Amino acid sequence: MTEELKERAAVTTDDSREYLTFTLGEEEYGIDILNVQEIRGYDAVTKIANAPDFIKGVINMRGVIVPIIDMRLKFNLGEVEYNQFTVVIILNVTGRVIGMVVDGVSDVVALRQDQIRPAPEFGAVLDTDYIEGLATLDERMVIVVDIERLMSSNEMGLVDQVHQQQQSV
Amino acid sequence: MTIDMSQFYQVFFDETDEHLSEMESLLLELDVDRPDLEKLNAIFRAAHSIKGGAGTFGFTDMARVTHVLETLLDRLRKQELKPAVEMVDAFLEAGDVLKAQLEAHREGGEYQDERIEQVCHHLEALTAGENPPETDAPAGALDTDHPASSGEDAPAGTGWRIHFDPVAAGIAESDTLNALADGIAELGRLQRVDEATGRPYLWVLTTDGPLAAERILEVFDFICDTQHIQMEPLPASGESAAADPGFGLFDAAPGVPGDTDADPGYGLFEDAPGGGGEAGSGMAPDAVAQEAGYGFFTEAPGSPGSSGEIQEGEGYGLFSDAPGSEQVRARDEQDRAEAARGYGLFDPSPGYPEGAREGEGGTGAKASGGDGVKGNGTASAGAGKTPPPPDGQERRQGSGGPPRKPGGGDSSIRVSVEKVDQLINLVGELVITHAMLAESASRLDPVAHENIFNGLSNLERNSRDLQQAVMSIRMMPISFVFNRFPRVVRDTAANLKKKVSLKLVGEETELDKGLIERLADPLNHLVRNSIDHGIESPEKRRAAGKSETGEITLRASHQGGNIVVEVADDGGGLNREKLLAKAAERGVPVSENPSDKEVWQLIFAPGFSTADQVTDISGRGVGMDVVRRNIEQMNGRVDIDSAPGQGTRITIRLPLTLAILDGMSVRLGEEIFILPLTAIRESIQPRPEQLKTVSGQGRVLQVGDEYLPLIHLQEVFDLGTPPQRIEDSIIVLVDTGQGRAALVVEELLAQQQVVIKSLETNYRKVEGVSGATILGDGRVALILDVDELLRLSQRTVRPRLSTTARGDTA
Repeated sequence: MTEELKERAAVTTDDSREYLTFTLGEEEYGIDILNVQEIRGYDAVTKIANAPDFIKGVINMRGVIVPIIDMRLKFNLGEVEYNQFTVVIILNVTGRVIGMVVDGVSDVVALRQDQIRPAPEFGAVLDTDYIEGLATLDERMVIVVDIERLMSSNEMGLVDQVHQQQQSV
Repeated sequence: MTIDMSQFYQVFFDETDEHLSEMESLLLELDVDRPDLEKLNAIFRAAHSIKGGAGTFGFTDMARVTHVLETLLDRLRKQELKPAVEMVDAFLEAGDVLKAQLEAHREGGEYQDERIEQVCHHLEALTAGENPPETDAPAGALDTDHPASSGEDAPAGTGWRIHFDPVAAGIAESDTLNALADGIAELGRLQRVDEATGRPYLWVLTTDGPLAAERILEVFDFICDTQHIQMEPLPASGESAAADPGFGLFDAAPGVPGDTDADPGYGLFEDAPGGGGEAGSGMAPDAVAQEAGYGFFTEAPGSPGSSGEIQEGEGYGLFSDAPGSEQVRARDEQDRAEAARGYGLFDPSPGYPEGAREGEGGTGAKASGGDGVKGNGTASAGAGKTPPPPDGQERRQGSGGPPRKPGGGDSSIRVSVEKVDQLINLVGELVITHAMLAESASRLDPVAHENIFNGLSNLERNSRDLQQAVMSIRMMPISFVFNRFPRVVRDTAANLKKKVSLKLVGEETELDKGLIERLADPLNHLVRNSIDHGIESPEKRRAAGKSETGEITLRASHQGGNIVVEVADDGGGLNREKLLAKAAERGVPVSENPSDKEVWQLIFAPGFSTADQVTDISGRGVGMDVVRRNIEQMNGRVDIDSAPGQGTRITIRLPLTLAILDGMSVRLGEEIFILPLTAIRESIQPRPEQLKTVSGQGRVLQVGDEYLPLIHLQEVFDLGTPPQRIEDSIIVLVDTGQGRAALVVEELLAQQQVVIKSLETNYRKVEGVSGATILGDGRVALILDVDELLRLSQRTVRPRLSTTARGDTA
């Protein structure tokens, strides 16, 4: 099930970049493929105490402890049963390895910058900080996500704020 | 207590080797004109570490050299001195001496050479004054023989003679001229030697260190056209011995056909009356070629021609075919490093008379010319330091150290921790794969597939052995570091005339070898600091009513899964006022009304020292800077507790990147947790009547005549399962920082050794959990931190009692 994508990840000739698209419920998202380390099936996780509900827990990936995030819970798309199509995208974001549970991986597409249109403001309803823009692919809308910004944002609670507090005390 | 220090020698040698090469590469990268403070600090730290180590192991000769080195670096670091190419050379040379000394110690001997003294003197001279050393070089001695043209009006120091025609350059007005003079004077001391009208003006600029010609030209460029400017380097006073004879040679050869059609870049020696000779001996290699571009012989008045032997990249100040002088062939041994060591080496040809010495001088002068060229100055400093020794060749060999004996240091290899980590992970995977195979095989008929079962059990045994062997690569008792301290304490205390005893606790605590190696330096600093600054003198101690002998305690333990190493002394404690005053003086930002902890943290600022005096041991304020940096690199933390008059305790907490923990695996619902064995006192099967409540909220468990707080993991960790009935549970009594507590679990599974992995690598710190481990079946299990658990349970379960509970913890 594990499929190394690293080698394929590359910036293509013109100013377009490659994005891995995945589905969450009815929505399709795209992330920069250079952040993707590998794709694997969903294994049982070890729960972590007092974590937000979208952090499913941690898994052992070849000796490395990797936190797993359920993007459907994170994006409030409702809970779905995990089945054999459920995959975990292992990301490498600013040196951290993070797993992201999604409904399924669809494709790798090249998008030019001008194909990505800015997302409209949703005001207070929705934090669009981490949304790079919206792109159209064969009538489908792909939400292009700045995964680095999303994963390092405070609300994800992935980065140690406790530690930082301790240092300032 | 006697300890054979030699078992640690190898470590010292290896470390010092690393420090030296680090220092060298940093020095080589250092941009003299725009020194990077961070780099200077790093160089300084490397030197400091070498000094510390050398002191510890009693290699006093190395400690002495590094001390001098460090003093100069310290002044540079504090920006009291401006770095100069010459200093870098001196540092590099000191590095070479240290290497030679190290080499000698490796062999069990001691390196003896006058070079050591020379280097020390040179460094001291550089430290003391802003001038290059003037003592070593017997200047003048040769001057008398060769009344040098340049020597006449050249004051001490390096510098340039600047010739220009103010009229041609269009700066005849005195205002402009003065502005120009001011501009140049910023670069050094300017003497306006000759300003008679109608002829080129002659200014002499003396500088403290080498100065690139471009710098001067830049100033000119600002004001006028530079093509009317000619400059020649002034020999440094320290180099004049070498330089002057060179000039003398030209003087002594009047009317000799000089070589005028040298490369256009050549722009010196205009004054040489009948400047003689053309450069010859095409042996000059690359480094030299650059210097050669510097060019010497132009415009030699009265030099009718040349014998035209000059080729580009040559011209090393050597002269052949010059009538009136013997044919001189001097050969320069290319490489700059050697030139730096001194002394440009010359291979005298047979029948090499008079001219030979002068030839040497010529090269010397040449080298000093090269000085101005950026990054090129190595040659000059060396030349300036010592007169060219006749035994240059031998000396060069000597500096390379005696031939290395085979064997000895090769019994161990240094492998990067990463590689070992990778190995450990792979072995872990292997064990898990085996477990999976075994499970699949268990469905087979054991009789029909006997071979498979035999193979599997062999595989299991082998992979377990392999796992243990790989683990053991990294684990070592901390005594490996601790054992060097009795000597450190004894020597340091004796040095400072203090009485100090050392207590070691928890030496058997095992930790990762990588951590051990990296702990050694910080601990060394901390212990020395404690003795120097913490422990008071016997008289003071007596006056304070303490025993004359101070005590330093080194304590190591696994606490809450962390590795905690403490350095505690019973000395005077930190002085809050003094620290704050120092911080204000040094401009270290401090918040208003800082807490004690904040104040204590100040001692970690770079260059921060409250010592009134810089001693051989400490007081420069590097130590704590290094300590914190090292610990932080290990993702650890340093805490300080201090009480005036009672002492200081510095606690290093290291996360367990890879330490092995003896643990008990316990089950709660579906989850498995690891409880450190050291925390477990006993396990009991509780009876309902042991359970009591306080104010209907706080639950306690009566054990004997004690009432222990109950920790329900389900509640603390919010596991989502209701707590099982206490009668069906097992109670584990654990020791915490706040006394005993009762932890409720469902089942005790097994006692096992686990490898601790940090959760923080990819996630963050989780309260109540000190780390994670990977179980035999590949699952992740969290390792509990009972101290934090108790605190958490007080917050979550017993809100009403929390005030008192917090009071306890604070």
